[in-house]
Amino acid sequence: MTDPLVIFDLLLALAIVALAAASLSVRDLFSMIVLFIIFGLLSALAWVRLSAPDVALAEAAIGTGVTGALLLKTLHHLRFASGTLGQKAAYGVTPVAPVPMAVIMTNAVFCGLITLGLVVAFLGAPAAGPGFDPLVAEAMPQSGVEHPVTGVLLNFRSYDTLMEVVVLLAAVVAVWQIERGLSEAPAPAMGEVWQGFARLALPAIVVVGTYLLWVGAEAPGGAFQGGAVLAAVGLLLLLTRAYVPQPAHRGIARGAFVLGTAAFALVALLVASGGRVAFEYPLDHAKTLILLIEGMVTISIAVTLAALFHGREPVALAKGDRNDT
Amino acid sequence: MSVEISPMILSVFVPLFGAIAAFVLPRAAALIGFATLVLTSGAVAWLARDVLAAGAVGLPLGGWGAPLGIDLRADGLSVAMLALTSVVGFLVSIAALDSLKGPEQARQRQYFWPLWLLLLTGMNGVYLSTDIFNLYVMIEVIALAAVGLTVLSGSRAALQAGLDYMYASIFGALLFLMGVGFVYLQLGRLDFAGLTGAAPTGALIAALALIFVGLALKTALFPLHFWLPAAHANATAPASALLSGLVVKAALYVVLRLAQYMPFPSENLLTLVGLMGAGAVIWGGVQALRAERLKLLVAWSTVAQIGLIFVAFARAGEVGLSESWKAAALLILAHGIAKAAMFLAAGRIKDEIGHDVIRDLDRTPIRPTLAQFTFALAAISLIGLPPSLGFIGKWSLMEGAMAAGYWHWVGVTMAGTLLSVAYFSRVFAGFLRFDRVRAPVGEHQGWALADAAPLTLALMAIGLGLLAAPVLSFIEIGYPFGVAP
Repeated sequence: MTDPLVIFDLLLALAIVALAAASLSVRDLFSMIVLFIIFGLLSALAWVRLSAPDVALAEAAIGTGVTGALLLKTLHHLRFASGTLGQKAAYGVTPVAPVPMAVIMTNAVFCGLITLGLVVAFLGAPAAGPGFDPLVAEAMPQSGVEHPVTGVLLNFRSYDTLMEVVVLLAAVVAVWQIERGLSEAPAPAMGEVWQGFARLALPAIVVVGTYLLWVGAEAPGGAFQGGAVLAAVGLLLLLTRAYVPQPAHRGIARGAFVLGTAAFALVALLVASGGRVAFEYPLDHAKTLILLIEGMVTISIAVTLAALFHGREPVALAKGDRNDT
Repeated sequence: MSVEISPMILSVFVPLFGAIAAFVLPRAAALIGFATLVLTSGAVAWLARDVLAAGAVGLPLGGWGAPLGIDLRADGLSVAMLALTSVVGFLVSIAALDSLKGPEQARQRQYFWPLWLLLLTGMNGVYLSTDIFNLYVMIEVIALAAVGLTVLSGSRAALQAGLDYMYASIFGALLFLMGVGFVYLQLGRLDFAGLTGAAPTGALIAALALIFVGLALKTALFPLHFWLPAAHANATAPASALLSGLVVKAALYVVLRLAQYMPFPSENLLTLVGLMGAGAVIWGGVQALRAERLKLLVAWSTVAQIGLIFVAFARAGEVGLSESWKAAALLILAHGIAKAAMFLAAGRIKDEIGHDVIRDLDRTPIRPTLAQFTFALAAISLIGLPPSLGFIGKWSLMEGAMAAGYWHWVGVTMAGTLLSVAYFSRVFAGFLRFDRVRAPVGEHQGWALADAAPLTLALMAIGLGLLAAPVLSFIEIGYPFGVAP
């Protein structure tokens, strides 16, 4: 008698591949994005089945939630730029020319061969190879936290994590510096249902996001997941126009973007005294320092992701332009 | 309680804090950026002194030590790359102070510095890293900052080129990450030491292939160079100089490092790498001959020169690999300096005469002679005429190839040299004018203080050839490739 979950896993795997194929082959951009979001949710489920709840949370919050919102926003902008906003035809926007079947087939064969090669290489590798697990288990008591993933991310390999936060900072600097002469596409009218939803959802999101951050020390969760969930607050505020970015707010926004990186880097540097090297947190204060870093990084991630969704530096438009950024 | 600081930490953290400060205080960005460059160069000089005195130095971050933690390590090659980055970066920054001073460039000036300092953080991080996952993260930092610099000018062509560059760059990084995954699958660790001496199993060969293709995309090795010419030609001059002189070198450096640590499967694969390089030398040369604009010509010459570095890498086959990296490293240094000088000079010429159409270079009343002179000096190093650093690099390439009896690589190098003479001559012909237009006597010479930085770089590219012996012995400090312990 096989484990019934095996059947579930098989169905899940099939569904993920089918959704990936569907989102690639469908011509309508809106359907494509929706399929991609479902694909992301099922992938998150797959990560849960692979006993990687941290990755699952990140996939659901960032890979699906924030990415889906960014894609939909881009679609909205594309339609506005092509002048077809609000028309039925807009839902069929396909800015790419159809690719000849022969090219698709050649690419498919080529990619199939590469995938086959990688599968062979994968199957040839040791199934349960050596890993960090024993090393991590041994070092956990000195890390100041109880959850191994947090230990790796915020202590053993915190240099990598700092630089990942820098990647996010670089992304928002790059996005802000692109000058977009075009004024923003007007947001679609939000009904009263939407306003009501925002009123109900906002407090819940804040609680969930903060909980994810706090619980990261002992259980799956942490700065990236918590930050992404809190970014949803920003998204809702922007969408409901409860908050409209103003040029005067740029200073605060810049400060919020760099807060996580600056705090992280400063802590990493300042602990280097009395025989310790950079990133070597004293054990007594390790948990406090890690929580401090995570808190600051969460704020930065939430604000940065919301700013990426807004997609531009709020600059004062010249007179005559519709100032609706 | 005093904070103990290592120059390695400073080389990464000073530009990082500089970038943060320059972003938060946009009005003072130029000042902060320039001060950061000075401080970073100081840290690199300090590190160079340490390495000269004591050989390779290491630092276990967080005190954990590899493989659990991440170690930083600086040897001769790392410091040489850091020094290249500092020197070129410093002089390009001086040039940027001048070329971004106009009121219409206020926005560019405000964003150039944070992006460039983030780029510097990433590059210095790459040169000090000893961990392949850490390399991936650093490569990502470089990629995003470099794309930001590519689109800095804001023109439609630059945005289009920047988007192509971003797709190529992110895809390359994903391939690299997949390769890192395969390494972890097989070996269970990610530090360089764990890679040494590993048997070439299927998973490691897959990893090597993925990592190499990913890096080839990032460094624009033929035939994966499609994004480079447009991206480098359409950026503003200081950004072009940084992208062409420094950014592609980071991925090249990683190839050089990993090739020595990862088990190399076979001679045939090395020949394939050399053939891709040869393809780049020929194709890049031909396209440079056909280019209509000066900056596009210079960008295509980058494609050709990158190919040449890979030829140097493959020049003597598997047996010669332990020596070939020196020829490749010399060419990397030579190209970094000379190409930065050339892009800055091309930018100066464009600024002075208002366009960069090669055919019309001799029809303008203004002669930016100093910029033209700089361009010619840089071309001498890129062509490989003695005594430039480019000459030493090419010579050591051909010497190794001849010693190993691989005459085809000598032939490729010769063909590449002839092509580079041909395409640079197109530009020189325009500079020399041959009096097609008789301009009034006392014509505007178009000299400016802005020529100082590119001229210094070009003179270095020539002059360092005379110092090749000390440079060579410096990059061997600490046995970068484990010849001795």
